[in-house]
Amino acid sequence: MAQVSLKQVRKAYGGTVAVHGVDLEIGDGEFVVFLGPSGCGKSTTLRMIAGLEEITSGTIEIGGRDVTRLEPKDRNIAMVFQNYALYPHKTIYENLAFGLRMRKMERDEIDRRVKAASVMLGLDPYLERKPKQLSGGQMQRVALGRALVRNPEVFLLDEPLSNLDAKLRVRMREEIARLHQEVGTSMVYVTHDQVEAMTLANRIVIMKDGYVQQVGAPLEVYDRPANLFVASFVGSPEMNLVEGRVEAGAFRSGGLTIPLPEGVQAAEGTDIVLGVRPEHISVGEGPHALPFDIAVIEQLGAQTLCIGQVAGVRLRVLMERTDAVRNGSALPVSFRPEGLHLFIKQSGARLDTRRSPVGQ
Amino acid sequence: MSSKSTIYSFLILGLAVTLLLIVAPVVYAISLSFYRMDSFVGTPEWAGLDNYARVLSQWEFWRALINGFVYSLGTIVFQVVLGIGFALVLNQVFPGRNLVRGLSILPYLLPTVVVVLTFKWMVDGSIGVLTNVIAALGLPPVYWFESPGAAMASVILVSVWMWTPFVTTTFLAALQTVPTSLYEAAKVDGTTAIQRFFHITLPMLKPILTVIVLLRAVWMFNKFDVIWLLTQGGPVGSTEHLAILSYRTAFSLFDIGGGAAIATISFAILSVAVFIYFRMFPLDTE
Repeated sequence: MAQVSLKQVRKAYGGTVAVHGVDLEIGDGEFVVFLGPSGCGKSTTLRMIAGLEEITSGTIEIGGRDVTRLEPKDRNIAMVFQNYALYPHKTIYENLAFGLRMRKMERDEIDRRVKAASVMLGLDPYLERKPKQLSGGQMQRVALGRALVRNPEVFLLDEPLSNLDAKLRVRMREEIARLHQEVGTSMVYVTHDQVEAMTLANRIVIMKDGYVQQVGAPLEVYDRPANLFVASFVGSPEMNLVEGRVEAGAFRSGGLTIPLPEGVQAAEGTDIVLGVRPEHISVGEGPHALPFDIAVIEQLGAQTLCIGQVAGVRLRVLMERTDAVRNGSALPVSFRPEGLHLFIKQSGARLDTRRSPVGQ
Repeated sequence: MSSKSTIYSFLILGLAVTLLLIVAPVVYAISLSFYRMDSFVGTPEWAGLDNYARVLSQWEFWRALINGFVYSLGTIVFQVVLGIGFALVLNQVFPGRNLVRGLSILPYLLPTVVVVLTFKWMVDGSIGVLTNVIAALGLPPVYWFESPGAAMASVILVSVWMWTPFVTTTFLAALQTVPTSLYEAAKVDGTTAIQRFFHITLPMLKPILTVIVLLRAVWMFNKFDVIWLLTQGGPVGSTEHLAILSYRTAFSLFDIGGGAAIATISFAILSVAVFIYFRMFPLDTE
């Protein structure tokens, strides 16, 4: 187990900068997930930690040791690849043992570790098979096992579940969470799937265009997205984002007027974006309730997602399962101040009285 | 026309062409080996296995067989080892890589006669580049076509020069199919570059390598033009292999039955060798 420290880590390919100076401290035994769309620099950052990608500038430390210029093999890391990267001509046993053999470990110790890992991951019946004789889930378990036997200081996982079908992905997600609890080793995990990030991470690092957008615990990121990008990227269904303007101390967009939450001050005429999660719009009569005209209904099972308009503004509203609603009908809805997020349209920055004064 | 009849019509056409251009000449050549003939116009005389008995009792036959093995083995080993080496170098990223890759195939594109003449010019006793380099290094002169060892070295050298690009190009193409993540996983697993070659590259490319070696072996065992143009099998038969001996027997000595018998034996040896080769290195995908 070890801490991982990234200081101003930057990667450029010629004139194109893939990662702009990332600073990050990953705690001992922590599970950190890099989340972002493709091309955001999350995999490149992971590969720089692994030593598979050269660093343009900055330093990386693992366990207090500067590993910036070290080869991957000298960093005491283990990596799980998206396409598993199992050696196709070797048996599962040989795949698991290969890294240990290359490190000239005693045969008995190799055998003990391989057996222990295969029991942990339910791989013992397959040790004499070749990778192509296994299913996707089993291959991914072998990839995890190969990392596990090494007993590394840090596990690096590059989109390990994206080649699996939805059902298997959920199961493997649980297995990875269990594995992390059992071994307690620091894990750095890359994904574009926000559900994976929310369910697995102690902390999520959200990236876009090579910049870190926000670092925080999953619920922190969900509750207080630092900017418009994070607000739109985290949460399912996606947050409603409504463009408007501050007029007479209230947010106004088309026919919709919502008083600014207490403590939020914005200069008159500022272009802002109001964010409200579909699950944070209350359904039911109330003093400030507005009619929500339903156009589309999506039944999700436990919940019902309605898409429609409030005062001419398109919104999605997620409510407890309702069988009674019909297309074309209207429901009274209201906005709770604690569920509202305000962002400056131009910069995308969050308007937050506790952190940044209005207009900055 | 139904799809079945379309399939049959293509099949029959293909079979007819194969029969006419491959099977018939082979059968004719084999049949010639059972007759006594001293020209293609005279009446052939049934000889049974006499031609075979006679050919097998001649020491020239055994010398040609051994020469054939030496030539094939020498050319294959050098072509494959050098070809793989060049492919690995050309697979690296360096400035002007595409140009070098293009140039590397050049010898394979040249007509054999051009390559042979170029080599002869390079080793010319007075003006040859190689001759002068050897002299400048203070080494004794090499009599490329006069001493048996040097003559064999010459034909191997020219063959390697000419056909190594085939191995390089094929192997380079195959290298592109190995997933990069395998090399990365192996790097994390603590391998050196040499270990990655033996643990990943070679096993991953074993099927293609099996085919490359087989093709080169068959082509080299039957290779005629390079040797004929360079040495015509000389000096004193030191570079004469079965193909040259067969040609010389049939067309210089006008022993057509004997020539055909040598060709048939050569064909049989190659068939058996290919069979054994496939038993040793089955073409599986692992």
